[in-house]
Amino acid sequence: MNKKKDCLDPLKVIGRAKGFSRRELISKLPRHSKFSPNIIQQIEKLPEVLLRNSGSPMAKKLIRMMREVNTEVYRAIQFTRTEINNRGVLYGVVLLKHRVIDLVLKYFHKRWPQCVICLYNEHTRKTDIINEKATIQELKLPLKEAVEKISKNRPIIPYFEDIQFSGKEIFDTLYQSQNIVERENPRYFKQMIPDKCYELPGLRNGIEKRYISRNKKLNKFL
Amino acid sequence: MPSTLEKIRILGRNSKYDICASTASSRTKKYPTLFGDSKNWIGATASAGICHSYTPDGRCMSLFKTLYTNKCIYNCSYCFSHNCKQKVSFTPEEYARTFMKLYSMNVVEGIFISSGVCGSADQTTEEMLEAVRLLRNKYHFQGYIHFKCLPGLSQHLLKEAIALSDRISVNTEASTKGYLSEIAEQKDFKNDIITRQRWLKQIRLKHNEEVLKVMKDLKQDNQLEFQEKMIKDRRENGYKKFRWDGAPILNSGQTTQFVVGAAENETDWDLLNRIDWQYKAVDLRRAYFSSFTPIKGTPLANKKAESLAREHRLYQSDWLLRIYHYKLRDLKDVLTEEGNLPTGDPKIHFARHYFKEHGLVDPNHASYQELIRVPGIGPISAKRIINLQSQKIKFKSREDLKSVGVVLKRADPFLIINGRNQTTLSTFFDLDENKSPEKKLGGIV
Repeated sequence: MNKKKDCLDPLKVIGRAKGFSRRELISKLPRHSKFSPNIIQQIEKLPEVLLRNSGSPMAKKLIRMMREVNTEVYRAIQFTRTEINNRGVLYGVVLLKHRVIDLVLKYFHKRWPQCVICLYNEHTRKTDIINEKATIQELKLPLKEAVEKISKNRPIIPYFEDIQFSGKEIFDTLYQSQNIVERENPRYFKQMIPDKCYELPGLRNGIEKRYISRNKKLNKFL
Repeated sequence: MPSTLEKIRILGRNSKYDICASTASSRTKKYPTLFGDSKNWIGATASAGICHSYTPDGRCMSLFKTLYTNKCIYNCSYCFSHNCKQKVSFTPEEYARTFMKLYSMNVVEGIFISSGVCGSADQTTEEMLEAVRLLRNKYHFQGYIHFKCLPGLSQHLLKEAIALSDRISVNTEASTKGYLSEIAEQKDFKNDIITRQRWLKQIRLKHNEEVLKVMKDLKQDNQLEFQEKMIKDRRENGYKKFRWDGAPILNSGQTTQFVVGAAENETDWDLLNRIDWQYKAVDLRRAYFSSFTPIKGTPLANKKAESLAREHRLYQSDWLLRIYHYKLRDLKDVLTEEGNLPTGDPKIHFARHYFKEHGLVDPNHASYQELIRVPGIGPISAKRIINLQSQKIKFKSREDLKSVGVVLKRADPFLIINGRNQTTLSTFFDLDENKSPEKKLGGIV
């Protein structure tokens, strides 16, 4: 590589961008639970090359923090289990350590634009709500009370009334019916659902848990 | 009368070997509002790749995948339904309601609707379409629907299925007429399968050409903005027209599936030949392969199960044809005498064969076509290398290549940089033979 070009954006020099741009870092890092304003000051001082170079200790830290934020959003979208009532209130429980609840709410809002979405965050012990107009609000109420309060003044929607039955058994039956014993691949399965995902509220009592490794860690017995 | 749970248990089991069940994003940024902007719509298909659950074999379980009915007039010798004594069917209302419940629980992303042929293909499809109509009209579901075209389906029903679904598949099952008659003697290869695939292509192309023409005329007459504004206004007011005239249809294309190893003597070459033809002739989006598994009570119960490794090799070769645009004759060079793919990655076998004749590759001067043949270099890293070549930036060491995304451990034996080739252990023995280093070096390694 041409050494004189080292000061340029690595994307232009080597054709491939690594890490995150300054703009991305400044916009997303404040969502991290361990974020402090000093980090932004440091990001603004450092050249883009160093920010993107995963070899530098600062970039390493930033990339790790960004990954934690992005993974938490993705896992919440994947593994949050929700319920819907006949008045168009979709609700569920999440465990979000970082400040990403708005991103998760927006995902559900896009899918259910005519519903009010309520997500109770076990970490903050608050219920966050997004309404039909995409306005986000935070309530210091447990989930059940929040859902009752919102549902009170809403009309019954006929096609949501149709699906007021328990779906857990249906999903369990469907899941078991799809299992092909001769194709079982525990290693690949664990790669898809890492052990720590079972701490999420959606998977805590999920049927997938039956298939995790029987080998217990020592601290499970303590 | 069996309960819904019982039906899911039976019909889910009957469809579990139907493995073409991945979601595909069918709403691009260009056409984000295929069904209109009304807030009554539920669901989205813009973000493919979100899986809410995985089966114990690691496969993503993103679709509600059951048969509609397991009553079937065909007696295909490999089929699970063949032996199933309990014959059950969903009702359209039951099917739609069950799916909506699962969708509201955030455990599935869409539907894969397939069925046995009960009475006739048209009768069964009518019922399947009724379930899909309910989902689209009553429940306002605008998410992903993969519809299975049954053998011998009429054209007018196929057209309606296209209008309601994102993807349609016709199962080819075997590569030729002869092999198909061996495993499913009642199916007519040409009429039931190939003709339907051709129809799918024709209907899609015809519609999309007309759409382009309409849009072009509007643009010429400076009416496009007016048209878009009008459509937008009508949608915002809750106007619910399916597939507005400017939207293309069947965005996720058509797919197919083969049962690998069910027919006697069917080779990998036969299968690759068929899919290559389908990519060219019927605009196939992708092919799926399902290894044959013997099922108790079926005529092929005593036949040996096909290895999953063969299925995997076929997927790898399909990838080379579909994404890397290899020529079929290139792959022919690496086949065994029986016409099957050798053990191991087909790309590595091909590279060993190719570079033995053509010499090693210098990334500073190689063309895209040469780079793409090197294991460890994919289309993206090849494009990056070409981009750097055009900027006259030279690669001076292997590490430079690593920084553009090349997997060096695979690419090393085939690359030459500054006149030097990284020596690897494999260079000390003949690469053409499938022997491990331990055997070659007498167990010294």
